[in-house]
Formats: sequence, C-alpha cells, structure tokens
Amino acid sequence: MAAFDRAADDAPTTVQSRPRIPSGDNSVWADVSPLLNAACQDLQEGDLIHGDNFNLFAAMSALEIMDPKMDSGMASTYYSLDEAIENGAAPVPISDDKTTDVRCIIDIMDHLLACEATWHKGHSLAQTVYSCLYLLRPERTSSHALLHSYCQLMRATCKAVLSVVADSRTHEEEDLFIMSYGLPLSGDGNERCLPLLNAVEETICRQLRACKTSSKRRVTEDIEPLQNNPDLEEGYCKALLCRLRFRKHFYHLLMSMKRPQGGGLELAREHIASCISEIAHIQKSSDFLRASAPEMSEKNIDNTTASGCQPIGFDASLNCRLSAPTPPRAIKIFCFEKALEYFVKLLHDLDIICSYSLDPSLEAALLFVVKFQKSQPDLVSRAHLQLLLVQNGKLFGRYPMFSMITRAAGLPEVAENHDIQKNEFMMQLEQMVVTLLKIICTNAAWQRRKLGKMLQDWRVTYVQLELAFKKEFGNTSSNENIGFKIFQHILVWVEEQTYWIAFRFLTVGFELELYSDHDYCMVYWYIYIVLINLAEKKHLRIGMSSGIGKKKTKKKRDSLKDAGMNYQISAAVKFLQSQIYLAEGLGMMLAALRNERRIFPPQSPFSTEHEIFIQQFELLLKACLPDGISYQTYKESTAQANFSTLVMCDYFKEAQKIAKELKSNFANDPEMMAELRRIELVAERNNIALTVISRLGTPDPSVKISFTLSHHPFFATAIVKRS
Amino acid sequence: METRSNKDETEISKVDFDDSEIEYISYGGEHHLPLIMNLVDEELSEPYSIFTYRYFVYLWPHLSFLAFHKGKCVGTVVCKMGEHRSTFRGYIAMLVVIKPYRGRGIATELVTRSIKVMMESGCDEVTLEAEVTNKGALALYGRLGFIRAKRLFHYYLNGVDAFRLKLLFPRPELHTPLDSSDKYGSHIHSEHGDSRIEQ
Repeated sequence: MAAFDRAADDAPTTVQSRPRIPSGDNSVWADVSPLLNAACQDLQEGDLIHGDNFNLFAAMSALEIMDPKMDSGMASTYYSLDEAIENGAAPVPISDDKTTDVRCIIDIMDHLLACEATWHKGHSLAQTVYSCLYLLRPERTSSHALLHSYCQLMRATCKAVLSVVADSRTHEEEDLFIMSYGLPLSGDGNERCLPLLNAVEETICRQLRACKTSSKRRVTEDIEPLQNNPDLEEGYCKALLCRLRFRKHFYHLLMSMKRPQGGGLELAREHIASCISEIAHIQKSSDFLRASAPEMSEKNIDNTTASGCQPIGFDASLNCRLSAPTPPRAIKIFCFEKALEYFVKLLHDLDIICSYSLDPSLEAALLFVVKFQKSQPDLVSRAHLQLLLVQNGKLFGRYPMFSMITRAAGLPEVAENHDIQKNEFMMQLEQMVVTLLKIICTNAAWQRRKLGKMLQDWRVTYVQLELAFKKEFGNTSSNENIGFKIFQHILVWVEEQTYWIAFRFLTVGFELELYSDHDYCMVYWYIYIVLINLAEKKHLRIGMSSGIGKKKTKKKRDSLKDAGMNYQISAAVKFLQSQIYLAEGLGMMLAALRNERRIFPPQSPFSTEHEIFIQQFELLLKACLPDGISYQTYKESTAQANFSTLVMCDYFKEAQKIAKELKSNFANDPEMMAELRRIELVAERNNIALTVISRLGTPDPSVKISFTLSHHPFFATAIVKRS
Repeated sequence: METRSNKDETEISKVDFDDSEIEYISYGGEHHLPLIMNLVDEELSEPYSIFTYRYFVYLWPHLSFLAFHKGKCVGTVVCKMGEHRSTFRGYIAMLVVIKPYRGRGIATELVTRSIKVMMESGCDEVTLEAEVTNKGALALYGRLGFIRAKRLFHYYLNGVDAFRLKLLFPRPELHTPLDSSDKYGSHIHSEHGDSRIEQ
C-alpha cells in the first residue's frame, strides 16, 4: 500500500498527458486520484479493508502493487506499445543502411524461432512470440516486404498451431498455451501471406543468382542487390532464404496435417523433410552470421540468435499483463540451438504420426499412441495426433466407433451395422472409447489422473451392459442370434480393455516417479494381479474370435491360415505371461527382502502400510479391479515370501524363457524385439541378484540392496552392493 | 503452496548447536508475522502477499509453529484445515528451515506438531504440494507416511512440476486384527531426532 501511495503521488502528470477515455452510454469516467490519495493516508501497509463479501480468503487474491514478483502491470521500460514505438524501439526499416537492416531482420527471425519453441514448451504466447513489437502492429511493417511477409506468416502459424491445440484439448494443464487475449493473431493478410512470402523469396533467389554470376562474369543484371556489401551478399541471401523457406514449409505442413481424414499426411511428410533440410541450412549459416556480426553490437546473453547479437524490437514486459490473471511467470527464452533442437524433435514426432498406416483397428491405434508417447512428445505433436485419431466421433474421421469396437471384440462384419449400436450403453461405450483415445494423447501427469477416474466409468458401463444383456436374452446359454454374440463378445472386450487401462494407469506411475522404493512391493503385486486378469480376458476374447474364424475357414480347409492366426494370438497372451512372471517375481522378491529384514520400510508415526495401500490403489479398489482384492489379500499372499522358496519358484527364469521364445514371433517388429530384450535383461539380472542374496544367508548390514529402472521403464532391476 | 528453497545449494556453514536448544512455539500473534514472512520470502520461490500469511495464521493459529534458536527464528510451518469434498483435510502451506539449521530434524518436528494437531482435530488426511526436484522435502514427507498421489504439470510459476503428497490417517473401522500389531500414532515424537533433510 505504501508503494501504491508513491505511485499515486507521481500519477497526475502522467495521467493528464494521456488521452481521455470517452464516456459510454451509461458511464462517465471520473478522476479518482484525490479519493485514492485520501484513502492511502488512512491505510498503513498491510491494512485490510473489511467487508461482508471480502474475507481473509478473498484477501489472498490481492496483488501487491509494484512488487515485481506479483505486479504484472508494473511498467519496466515503457508504459505502452505506442510509447515504445514512439521511442524507436521497433523502427521500420530497422536501419537505413541495408546491410544492417538485413542483419537485424535475421536476428529478429532467429529470436522469434526461439520464442516460438519456448511458447510450444508451455509458456504464454504474449510473453514469447508476441514480445515482438513488429507482430503486435501488423500495419506498421507493410512498407517492408521482407519483414512484413515473415511477420504475417508468423502470425498465421501461431494461429494454426493454437487452433490445433485448442481443438484437441490436449493442453489441459498447459492452458497457458492457448491464452491469446488481445493479440493480433489473424491480421487481414493471413490468407494472402504466402503469395507475398513467395514473391520475397523469388526476389532473394534472383539476388543470390545475380551475385554469384556477377562475381564470375561481371554481367550487370537489372536487379538491385539485397544489401550494400558485395562480399556479404551471398551469405545474407542464403541465410534469409533458408529461414523464409523453413517458415513456408512449416506452415504448409500444418495446413496439410489439418486436412480431414488424414488426407494430407503424405504431403505433410514432404514438407517435414523440407523443414528438416532448411534447419540444416540455418545451422550452416551460423558461422557466416557470427563472423559478419559487428564487434560493437550488444551481446545476446541468452544466445537466442545465430549471430550472437541482441535482436531489435522485443519487449516481453509490455504485454505480460495480457498473459494471465496470475503473476507473471519467469520466462527464459530458449537459446537458438535449443530452439532448433526442439523443432527437429517436433518434426520427427510429426513424421511418426504422418507415417502411421491408419489401420482400421482400435487395438493398433491404442498401441501406436502408447509407443508414440514413449519418446515423450511435446504438446503440439500430441495435439496433432489426437485430432487425427478422432474426427467427428470416428476413428481417423473414417471408421465409426461401433464398428471399430465390434472388430476389436473379434465379431464378424455383419455386427458392424447392427441395431444394438443404438442401445444407450453401447453408445456410452463408444463415447468412452473416444475419450480413451483422447486421454492417452495427453501428458503423462494428466493422463494418469484421467485414466484412474475412467476406470470407474468402464466398470459401471460393463455392469450396465451385462444387465442389458441379461434382460434381453435371459439365461439362454447357447444362441446363434447375432445380437447375443455381440453382447457376449463386447462384454469380454470391455473387461479386457478395463484391465488394459488399469495396467497403463499403474505403469505410468513409474514414469511420473509417483512410487517410492518402499511402495514397489505392493505396486508389483498389484500389477501382477491386473496382468493375470488382463491375460485371462485377452485369451478368452481371442479364443472367441478364433472360434468364429474356424467356422469360416472350415469349409475352405484353410488350416494353415488358421494355425497362423492362432500362433499370433498366443504370442500376445504369452507376452503378457512373461510380464506376469516378472511382476510376480519382483513383488515376491521385495516381500522376501522385507520379511527377512534385509530392507526396512519407514515407520510413519501417523499411518501404516494399510493406508499407503488404500491410497495407492484407491481408484482400482473402488472400481473392483478385480473383485475381492484388499490389503488383506496382499498381506496374506506376501507374508510367507522368503528367499529359500523364491529361488525354487523360478519366476525370473520363466519370464526370461518366454521372452526368448517369443522373439521368433516378432522378428519383423523392431519395437517388440527391443521390449523383449529389455524384459529378458531385467529377468536375467534379477535372477542373478536373487541367487546372490539367497547365498548370503543371514542379513549382512554391509550389503546394500537397491532397485533401478535403468533397464526398463517400469520393471525394476535389483542391485546388490557391498559397501 | 510449496516447501522449496530457491537458493543455490552451495556450501553453507552449519551452526553448531544442541537439539535441546531449539525452542518450538505455536503462533502467538501479529509479532510473529514478520518472522514468518521473512523466512518464507527468503527461502521459497512463490510470491505471497501479507494477506496470504494472514489468511492462514489468523484462521488456524494453532496449526502454525515457529522454531527459535537463542531468540532467532530459524524455521516455521504454516497450515490450514477444512472440508474438502467429503473429507476433512489438513493442508501444509509452507515449511521452511534456514539452511544452516537443516539436517537436524527441525522441519520434521515442526511439521509433526502441525500434523498431530490436525489428527486430533479430526482430519481424515493431510495434503501438500512439493517441487519434484526437492529431494529433501520428499524424503521428509515420505518418512512421515505421505505418498505421491499426483504429479502436477508445470505447477509452479517457475515452470517446475509438483507432486501432490497425501497422508491418510488410519480409520479404526478399516483396521482388522491383522493390523493391530502396527503401532501407529504411538511414537510421534521419537522420530524427529534421526530425520535428515538432504541438502
């Protein structure tokens, strides 16, 4: 409040110099400075005005004026954009000297790219890309074709990226991303931005050609050079061209990916390849730009430009009050190299999406996303993937969800258009599948929470479907009716899918570091329980669908095909078996370590292991996944674990054996081969650790046993060390 | 809210003192406010106005504690409690011990006192947020029985993720004879002596 006092004292001169705000129909503007001044005399620092609707909680939202940590409206250099422009903070042209002008524009382009990467990584648009004063006033640059065309395309690109992220709603907690109040995103020229850029590019191409020929043959072409220094002409032309072309291809790429039903993915891949090659040219131009930067120029401490010079025309503080109703976030703009790295990763991630086959298979789509998420893609690529997966409630905008569900459930084609899809719970199921596809595209933290909550919905829908099934078909056990079959298959598939979600929910917890070492025992035990149920449902579902397959192929006597199918099928379940052994082995090994007092869980003064168990698995327990599981079940099944019997059980040897055997089934799938190798390695290492520990005999305090996730994202490896 | 230091983890000269020299005092009034504010402002990254502190210490003075060494305030804890959905929940808003005094169980003692009052007041659970990189705080709360219930993406103004930590108090009806051997709540004060906040 004291600070505010000071501000009020200084205020009159500044206030009067500003234009008056016109009064509206029902309002008149009045100067409240005298009133505020009087009020300030009465209040001491920290005093609070009491009111019925203003309590201590509401007071917390107070921001301390002139505290730089809180007051986003605090002016640092300029009060307004107009003032900044009047003071020459963003001149057009940047310099009357054409060489300087070009050099400065390249710095602006580079800093904008760094800002763009920083924005994509979750900071506000206002404080990153739109810290560029040239972007904020589209009309100001119109006399400068090069700067104008680049700024236009920049705004159009931001708008395109923003709409993808906003439409996909993948941003959730990253909501800063789409905040764009008051920013000029769609200037008039957005649609016309490409022709202008193409014309500029064409001119620079000719300038480049001209300077190359003139140095050899001294032919005076009727073209004005880009800038004044003939020695630098080629370098500057090239540096500008790769930057303009990157922008152009990046924009085309975004537009191609937006096409419905994944229709532009082929084309998008071509633009991705072009973008990557232009980035290489941008990198190559760095040496030239650094060498030709003037020695006297202001040093760029954040290294956001290739030249190492400070860019002209940026002020992040000017519109940080637009960013959010919260205090301004501390933003460090990416350095230029890191920005380029970000874009290369983004382009690779987008390329993975664009090369997806768009198979009409739900299972394949889910596995694709899980695989895609392993490389921890950023928001922008995840948003694109999500928009591709679900369009108009259909898979890839092409395949109705109900037909995808019937296929996943192993039903014949006739089921795809059956009237059962109009059943309210079937429609509910379709909606849940859409939600699932969207959720697995979000960041791991958000995803896990949503998956956990979703388990209950899946369980409830299962129960509702089961009731509807019983109501319709009573207790008939064998029925050739297709409706009966649809229910029967879908019920099994829903259960399988529910356990798949539960498994993903538990394993993502490792990625998020939600489990402490002391929770590992119960977590692996629960994973083991979930996997057993998942394998059982999968086996049942596959068995049911191959039953149909057999009937079909019987006539043809196509036994080879049938056998081949069965072979694949058992591989999927077998793969789960190897994981079941691994989870069981780890759970039991950890239980044995605890039972034999080789590791000591912390003794909380406030709660017990029981409370930890309830909290860790609350959502699974609520959804009865599976029925009848409780802390008691866990205690009873782990209480007897000890090393002498563990060695006999061979959990790890079994896991290793199955993983080894499965390799021949997945020889053409490099991802699966890598996963099998990881499982084999973890199983092998744990088996060795188990043998070592059991040979030690009585607990030896000098032996330290720890667990690491360095060989697999969620199956830990035991490390035994003598200190 | 958080329990994170924003200072460099550089070598800090430790103060030589005996544990018995640390005096723990429940929040006693407005004269304690500047002490709390100075500590939090110094050590935590989030900006708070005086009204944020007032909200907590005026409404729940019995949940806030200060630690003194020879008259100097070296640590503090600020908390609240209230209905949250269908539960009665305690919340640890700020916990700070100045660097030269860390690693001696002062933070554990402060927070243990608050949690004990929460438990006696009928709370079902206690929650807080901590930066994912704050190993010291995570270890401290882990020893007290907190689990990492959620990860909150870019939670802090500085862009760092947070963990939502949760401690569930035992409910008698949940415990079957199997657990009766587990002694919960019986050694509240026995543990702080060997607690360590990693630097």
